[in-house]
Amino acid sequence: MLSKVMSFALVGLDGVPVVAETDINNGIPSYELVGLPDAAVKESRERVRSALKNSGRKFPLSKITVNLAPADIKKEGSAFDLAIAVGILKATEQLTADCGGIVFLGELALDGALRPVTGILPLLISAKAAGYTKFIIPSANQEEASYLSGVETYAADSLSAVVDHLSGLNPIPPLPVKAYRSGGEREYKFDLAYVKGQATAKRALEVAVSGGHNILLVGPPGTGKTMLARCIPAIMPDMTFEEALEVTKIHSVAGVLGAEGIVDMRPFRSPHHTATTVAMCGGGSRTVKPGEISLAHHGVLFLDEMPEYHRSTLEALRQPLEDGVITVTRAGGAVTFPANFMLCASMNPCPCGNYGSADKVCTCTPAAIRKYRSRVSGPLLDRIDIQVEVDSVRYDDLAGGELEERSAEVKKRVEAAREVQRGRFGGARSNADMGEKEIKEYCPLDGECEDILRMSFESLRLSARARSRIIKVARTIADMAGSERIRPEHILEAVSYRKYDNMA
Amino acid sequence: MGYGKEEKALIWLDSFSLDYAKKAAALSHARDPYALVARFSEDKALSGILGEEKYAEMRLTLSDGGYLRGLLASYEKKGIVCVTCLSALYPEELRAIPDPPFVLYCRGRTELLRERRFAIVGSRRTLPQVMRRTEEFSERLGEYFAIVTGLADGGDSAAAEGALKKGRVISVLAYGLDHVYPECNRDLLRRVEKSGLAVSEYIPSQPPKKYLFPARNRIIAGLSEGVLVVSGGLKSGTRITAECAYSYGRDVFAFPYGIGVKSGEGCNRLIKEYAKLTDDLVDISAVFGINLTEKEEESLPPAEKKIVDFLSEGAAHVSEIARAAGMKESELAPLLVLLQMKKRVVSCGGNRWAKA
Repeated sequence: MLSKVMSFALVGLDGVPVVAETDINNGIPSYELVGLPDAAVKESRERVRSALKNSGRKFPLSKITVNLAPADIKKEGSAFDLAIAVGILKATEQLTADCGGIVFLGELALDGALRPVTGILPLLISAKAAGYTKFIIPSANQEEASYLSGVETYAADSLSAVVDHLSGLNPIPPLPVKAYRSGGEREYKFDLAYVKGQATAKRALEVAVSGGHNILLVGPPGTGKTMLARCIPAIMPDMTFEEALEVTKIHSVAGVLGAEGIVDMRPFRSPHHTATTVAMCGGGSRTVKPGEISLAHHGVLFLDEMPEYHRSTLEALRQPLEDGVITVTRAGGAVTFPANFMLCASMNPCPCGNYGSADKVCTCTPAAIRKYRSRVSGPLLDRIDIQVEVDSVRYDDLAGGELEERSAEVKKRVEAAREVQRGRFGGARSNADMGEKEIKEYCPLDGECEDILRMSFESLRLSARARSRIIKVARTIADMAGSERIRPEHILEAVSYRKYDNMA
Repeated sequence: MGYGKEEKALIWLDSFSLDYAKKAAALSHARDPYALVARFSEDKALSGILGEEKYAEMRLTLSDGGYLRGLLASYEKKGIVCVTCLSALYPEELRAIPDPPFVLYCRGRTELLRERRFAIVGSRRTLPQVMRRTEEFSERLGEYFAIVTGLADGGDSAAAEGALKKGRVISVLAYGLDHVYPECNRDLLRRVEKSGLAVSEYIPSQPPKKYLFPARNRIIAGLSEGVLVVSGGLKSGTRITAECAYSYGRDVFAFPYGIGVKSGEGCNRLIKEYAKLTDDLVDISAVFGINLTEKEEESLPPAEKKIVDFLSEGAAHVSEIARAAGMKESELAPLLVLLQMKKRVVSCGGNRWAKA
């Protein structure tokens, strides 16, 4: 007899419907699985056989043919186990209940328990969009699935529970829909209150986050660049539910989703400098997995010691920094992942690290410093609006009992500045995203500002390309000050964030 | 440009990258350059002076005039003018030193060799505030002198940049004019050749070598009426320039440095020995009887003046300046940039600032 059971397969960040068709015929007992399965899918035979047996069901001694349709998409992973098992039960009439319209997802353990799978959220979202409203998923995935409303999701912990639910013996209640905490305090591990001193760098961070600008922290080793960077997510505005869902989808596909089931805090990714281009941008031999830049979507990508990264890896960041998405093309097809992140990079001022230090002597020649800095290409630096120095902390600063401002306070100001930008652009765009046309429209400069800008270019030998970046940052500073017009002091402060350009 | 036959003989002799001592010995043996060429083939004693192989090689080039014609044509094509020690352009001061170069390969405005010349040299590690000061000194002195310097990073570059504003700079290179060193100063050299003058005692194809630099320094000293050393550690090459200048009887000036500043220990040592402590243009102009005084500083608004006054005590961190000025660091940043543009303060890295 023939049975059909629905499941979904993951392609990039989307699910495509897959029907598990099972046909049982008389003949020499065999098990044939077709429909471009990979090794993990093929091995489902052993898992399904044992799971059925150990759940008190029978694995038929017949000629079994399972087809995962459509047959031209490559199927990967273990999420089809449940659908195949249910298909066999139905085909052998061990289960007579109607399974039409139900999507089955889950990996089977040999004892019949259901194991979690990756990518549940994107699969459910795609399935919902395709018109499916009933899902049966492993209970270990229920946190992730519970944020989806308008559907009935049943979380089961074993094959027996699924069968009992379907046959009406022991129905599972649908998962309650969880509301997303849009406001409220989130507990971030790192808080600006714990960073002593560094007023200049902190201010620069606030400006960067307010306007969505990328930032480069330049300073000797051990001055707290990493600590400062880790504080960024805490001063960014909270994610909306839509943003959180997007991020959760990516993390779910990558299999890095935590127990809470949804990413409701801005992600902070700091890939090691040995990371390959594929690790950074996404890729993989068959299915394309998102890379670090996509995992940092709506959050922060922190590149510690930027000049140490492979040149090609850094260059690969240029296009996603511009577009906010990355399209990864592989033999298996092209996949587009969102990659709208804030880049925070850090580097030493010179090879020995002591340039500009008050008490240590820098032993680098100007040529050595230039060579070190040239490891980061101009076009990439062009996409970093703010460059600021982080200097060595003095003992007095560390020991001083002065209370530093908490991240929550800074965040309030950031949200106010973002509100101004929402009023200007509508939607989630920020000052950093402005093109030349918008700069003309929203950042008119009066004569005094023009003069100062021209003077700064002449006397500080800034590159001409810095101009629009300075204006964008000045716009953000004006927004933070609640000023409609860009004033000379805003321009001057923006110029002060071009440290790297006019150092040495 | 036409060369006399004696000059041609010198250019011919110089083109074989011989040691200075061998060239000098050959010339003193033959008494005058043209005689050297005229009797080169017969005079077997030269083979002893120059070495047999070199002698043979040189003799071959004399068989017809093609070698010299080619040489002169190639120099002309490269825009190189040879100023020999017999030329009227060759500076008297340089001729007076014990080992004057026989030929100066020049590219640029050779008429600068006729003007009064003053050298400003510094080491590669020069503090930002000293760079600024050097540039200013160089620009002002450029009103009266052609400024002689090298082409290294740091002090030399600052001197060249300053003098370039008046177009009166002579960069003495320690390698042939086909080369650039350091690479990052390619653009600077191009500008020097355009509006100033680049000079070398080496044939154009001579690549930069470490041991050539000390010899070059004697030319910087020899060309100049005085030398200002703006920076230099105890082992810096600027010391060689100063030593040469002193031994040639030229005036040596040096910027003073505070205790513990490594890049200035050489300067302080020079001041202890013979250099004149120089922290004002008048220190130099008084010696040469010219009228140069520090520019009147334009007055600043009170808040900015407070910052500059505080920084005249020495370089300080932003937080210290903020405390002294009674401001928040974020309010201070625009003012510091403004002062930087007015060239009253310089950034020393690490959020530290100094008075320019």
